[in-house]
Amino acid sequence: METELFVRYGPALLYGFGITILCWLVGSIGGVIVGFLLACLNRWGPRFIGWVIYAYVEVIRGTPFMIQLFILYYGGPYIGLLLTPVQAGIISFIIYGSPYFAEIFRSGFNAIPKGQIEAARCVGLPESRILWRIILPQMLVPITAPLTNFFIILTKETAILSVVTVPELLFQTQTMAAETFTFVEPFLVLSLFYWLMVVVTGWIGARVEQRVTRHLKRA
Amino acid sequence: MSNEPMTTKADDAIITVRNLSKYFDDFEALRDITLDVKRSEVLCLIGPSGSGKSTLLRCLNFLEQYDGGEVHLDGELIGWKDISHNPRKPLSSEALRKQRQHIGMVFQHFHLWPHMSALDNVAEALMSVRKLTKKEAREKAMTALTKVHLEDKAQNYPANLSGGQQQRVAIARAIAMEPRVMLFDEPTSALDPELVGEVLSVMKDLAAEGMTMVVVTHEMGFAAHVADRVAFLDSGRLVTCVPPQEMFGREPDDARVRSFLQTYRERNVV
Ligand SMILES: Nc1ncnc2c1ncn2[C@@H]1O[C@H](COP(=O)(O)OP(=O)(O)O)[C@@H](O)[C@H]1O
Ligand SMILES: [Mg+2]
Repeated sequence: METELFVRYGPALLYGFGITILCWLVGSIGGVIVGFLLACLNRWGPRFIGWVIYAYVEVIRGTPFMIQLFILYYGGPYIGLLLTPVQAGIISFIIYGSPYFAEIFRSGFNAIPKGQIEAARCVGLPESRILWRIILPQMLVPITAPLTNFFIILTKETAILSVVTVPELLFQTQTMAAETFTFVEPFLVLSLFYWLMVVVTGWIGARVEQRVTRHLKRA
Repeated sequence: MSNEPMTTKADDAIITVRNLSKYFDDFEALRDITLDVKRSEVLCLIGPSGSGKSTLLRCLNFLEQYDGGEVHLDGELIGWKDISHNPRKPLSSEALRKQRQHIGMVFQHFHLWPHMSALDNVAEALMSVRKLTKKEAREKAMTALTKVHLEDKAQNYPANLSGGQQQRVAIARAIAMEPRVMLFDEPTSALDPELVGEVLSVMKDLAAEGMTMVVVTHEMGFAAHVADRVAFLDSGRLVTCVPPQEMFGREPDDARVRSFLQTYRERNVV
């Protein structure tokens, strides 16, 4: 019975898994990039930009992801923004994730002792070089764990994309369950897929952390 | 214009400080400081904690924006583009960078970059500021490290160096840029006593080579034996600036200097 079911629905499930991974990866990497830019603007940009960013962070963090997704997908057309479900899913993922990533980067910036930056200015390093050579490499130490953590949280947030009919994993599983009246097995398989993403993400995070903390170990 | 060299013929002064004042909000950290540093001179700054020694030093390379007066290095106004207007306009970060390359600075807590080896700490600015190739920069960095007797520690990360060694790397990082003056802010205050000597000895070598140095220090022995002049600060004011024999040799006239030095006398340091 079940094996036959999974043969029939396997391709759809795998396709859903692929869409989930696509939305998750593009959305969260986009979120990282936007978050990083926000954190940089907040630190080096003019004062009023800081206030705008503050408001953005508060609003996005203060509303549920599903509402943001609804507004973008169903509200978008009113301002001429017609998006496919997958496009809406990815963009709303970027919008949703970026404030959290911005906060992680902000705390990372703050973790670099001010004296190191002064020392860099004293030998005449340009600010851009200070960012790339002094701040960023060291910042990876305190931010790797929270970044990994948030990537993991986001794997499961992808399930919400099903509400705007993104053909992702949960959407496919629900279709399979409804058509076949089986529930336990499809959702077990679904959990397995999420678990796989979480484990791999966690493993990569741990490896990155090992690598970026090399210099802290005494010989 | 304000950027022209001082007309006063301060005989071979490399740094001239004129009526310098600095506020932190309402708090007056420096008041009306006027001071010259001559070429190849070693000037020590002493005084009680909180008297403004670090602030004065940091105004010299514009790590602190001073509010009043002027600081010139070789006749060039440091930090401000225009002081005829109120509020003053600071130089562009590009112009400030150019000025700072000529002013080496060594901090109490070293501030090495912990993710780079000793060699890379020294080579970094040679590559990105002096635009040397990686190979040239490393060779030059090695020469600087040799000067501070750390050629065999070049590959160590700071975490694998003693405090004294870290401070010598910091000195190498500064001198590799061939600055016109070196500023030291309590370079030995964070060190275990047995490590102080190796840092002071490197500083003495530098002084002997003719480096112009401004040194904030509590090492009265160094001030007495290496300094050409010793300046005493108290409550943001320059109380006196005299040769060490006058500062330490006889009973000081000023009560503040007397009581400050008394604490060292009691410990037989001077
Ligand atoms: N960034 C700052 N903000 C406010 N006050 C400061 C700051 N830096 C120094 N001060 C104050 O200025 C005075 C002089 O400080 P400092 O130059 O560090 O003294 P010193 O180096 O002689 O111990 C102190 O009273 C200190 O509290
Ligand atoms: Mg100080």
